[in-house]
Amino acid sequence: MAKKRVMFSPVTRLEGLLSVEVTLDGDRVVNANASSTAFRGFEWIMRDRHVTDAVYMTQRICGICSTAHGAVASYLLDELYDNTLSENAQLMRNIMYASDIIQNHIRHFYLFGLPDYVRMPQRPPFHGQNLSDARLNPKDDQRLLENYFEAIKVSQKSHEILALFGGKAPHQHSFVHGGVSVAPTADKINRALALAKTVSEFVKGKLVPDTELIARAYSDYYQIGVTEGQFLSFGLFRFGPKNERLLLKNGVQKGNRLIPLDIGLINEDITNSWFSTAFEQGSNGKELIPNPYKPGAYTWSKSVTYGGHHYEVGPLARMIINGKYRGGASTMDRIYARTLETVHFTQLMEDWLKRVKPGPAPIEQKKTPVKNKVVATTDAMRGALLHSAWIEDEQVVRYNIITPSVWNFSPKDEYGRLGPAEGALVGTVVPRQEMLFNVLGRIIRSFDPCLQCATHVLDMRGNVKKESLL
Amino acid sequence: MDKEKFNELCHDLAPRSDHTLTEAILQEVSSFQAGHQNKRLPVIWIETSDSGDNNIAFLNSTYPYAGQVFTDMIDLLYCNSFMTAQGKHALNILEQAAVMLKGQFTLVVEGAIPLKDNGLYNVIIRTENRNITALEAVNWLGNLAKYVVAMGTCASFGGVSSARPNITGSVAVRQVLNREIINVSGCPVNPDWFVGTLAHLLMYGRPELDDLGRPTLFYGYTVHRHCQRRSYFDKGDFAENLGDIECMFSLGCMGPRTGADCPYRQWINYVNWPVRANTPCIGCTNEDFPDGSTPFFTPLSEKGSDKDKEINLPPNRKETNKWQKRG
Repeated sequence: MAKKRVMFSPVTRLEGLLSVEVTLDGDRVVNANASSTAFRGFEWIMRDRHVTDAVYMTQRICGICSTAHGAVASYLLDELYDNTLSENAQLMRNIMYASDIIQNHIRHFYLFGLPDYVRMPQRPPFHGQNLSDARLNPKDDQRLLENYFEAIKVSQKSHEILALFGGKAPHQHSFVHGGVSVAPTADKINRALALAKTVSEFVKGKLVPDTELIARAYSDYYQIGVTEGQFLSFGLFRFGPKNERLLLKNGVQKGNRLIPLDIGLINEDITNSWFSTAFEQGSNGKELIPNPYKPGAYTWSKSVTYGGHHYEVGPLARMIINGKYRGGASTMDRIYARTLETVHFTQLMEDWLKRVKPGPAPIEQKKTPVKNKVVATTDAMRGALLHSAWIEDEQVVRYNIITPSVWNFSPKDEYGRLGPAEGALVGTVVPRQEMLFNVLGRIIRSFDPCLQCATHVLDMRGNVKKESLL
Repeated sequence: MDKEKFNELCHDLAPRSDHTLTEAILQEVSSFQAGHQNKRLPVIWIETSDSGDNNIAFLNSTYPYAGQVFTDMIDLLYCNSFMTAQGKHALNILEQAAVMLKGQFTLVVEGAIPLKDNGLYNVIIRTENRNITALEAVNWLGNLAKYVVAMGTCASFGGVSSARPNITGSVAVRQVLNREIINVSGCPVNPDWFVGTLAHLLMYGRPELDDLGRPTLFYGYTVHRHCQRRSYFDKGDFAENLGDIECMFSLGCMGPRTGADCPYRQWINYVNWPVRANTPCIGCTNEDFPDGSTPFFTPLSEKGSDKDKEINLPPNRKETNKWQKRG
């Protein structure tokens, strides 16, 4: 049978703009090109600004995981200025961060994921649903639909916790370098605890059973959308006066082996990305320049590898690296791990809220930088996130960002090797033609794609080595 | 009751504490709802160059919650983030809705529009044959729509997407379409401003707009006017560090020239806003955000714009103004 190319665009129910072109050989996907079709140029935007602007500016990269960018920019500034963090500051930061991750996970499962598996009402914005593979009975459909609407309210409550301490959401204001600007008063803590309890009850009482139900009804998805099972995480939730302790550890998992992380092994490639290189004026280095007309290229995302290999990032990677999940690397594993992580984080958030000591704002910002180049990392909701800055007189000379979706939605590299999401699509068998978008959509969404954050560019000079991360 | 009469009634009766206003308008509101049971605002919502923050902000709407907005207020015909249909089925819905509801639907644009290189920096949909850029989609849909709502500061004024050096040549929706645009700015938009604007369009049509095309309902006064810390400003008592309780002007607050009702409306179920969180307002609803607001933590009068130097400080500021002593 002749091979057929199909454009899957727009891939809806995700953050940002994504198109995926697949090649089918009969009923089998034999090639996939994932295109991130938006570019904003954030590294250019960051140049020639005061470096402390990074805490608010970089949150504007992504509205769904803005706290993650604010957090990693804060860690970066803490190191640049040699701030010392109090325990209260770290607890408050982590409460805010967890509340944002929890809102993300709940919204992802219900608002973006659920219409892949559940019969929705036939009215906007649910009209035009493809029901060729809807498997739940009407009673279960109805229950999950009710939970969809409840999830809207509960995720709002999780953001209410963030706003109580962060001023607003998205793009919170108080998690900044040197600590947290808000005073954790008893009334705020109590209110946050009450909200956290509501969120936690929903997560245990609805999200977990709903995930289990979908995992049972669609158990074949434990064999669909499988990656090589190579995972990477930068770790999550920092503690200690110098941000030196990670609650969830970082690392690289290959098979059963956990290898310590060395960020010097990260490499980026633009073979299939809409970028060219040019000699930079007044410097010996090369600079990347956007080139939407580049022949053969198909995405604004670059191909990022670690030690020459593509790695999957996200909740599944975190859970496996931290020994909290033993399973495969499939569509359903990704969904299940995200739910288990949500349970874990709601518990952590409640514990931290009980440990915060009411008192003044836990913040102390030093005024003079002690370094001029820093690399900072954390895990965002959907995986590994890196910021690096090179400054002169507190002004940004270079600011670089590697986001989670760049890892998961890497295009093919110079050797033609596929990124995780593309790899998960290739090999998939589509049982009936009318199910094509269902199957592809489920696989793609299990990565919780957020292409907003892949819409930047790094001006890496050739290979990314430790000294050239800047 | 027509809009003018309704407004007049509200103005006249609002100061009275005997619930006369409620009494006077309750019946009107009830009869409107009864008579418009099935009337919902048809909306086509496209996401262009932004961070997705505005659709997350929308999901934080309370009373009505976003779910109620979906079911009771709008017919969200096309929206990349929330619609169930996908791929070419979604594109078909978009084409059909635009043609069948020509002159009736409200177009919501979430994001700026890159102009450079034929707009290829933002492709909202690809087909086997070609790219549909944000530029093309906004031109096409913007000329068919009854109202165009620019949601967030990127769509309203270019925002962060067009911040210097703006290598994608991004602009606001108003620079692409030659028609009236209702700008609902904010980075992100406060859900009340957005949902409130849609509610106004549904019930009363076009809201009154300020000279930047924003509904005066929400942007009519500056943050400074209603700020809880206004008394500190008037006494010249300024914060030295983030976390302090005094006026944030010394730490870069843009309140004196930012139109928004944050001080009393606040965010996320009315719990907080940046100044109450001991941080400066960064002027995210403004025409020149972010470049006119950065460096964020530098006082307004030192940010570099001539306009900002004219902001009048209280007369006694020199004696009590701590931030100037910081050097």
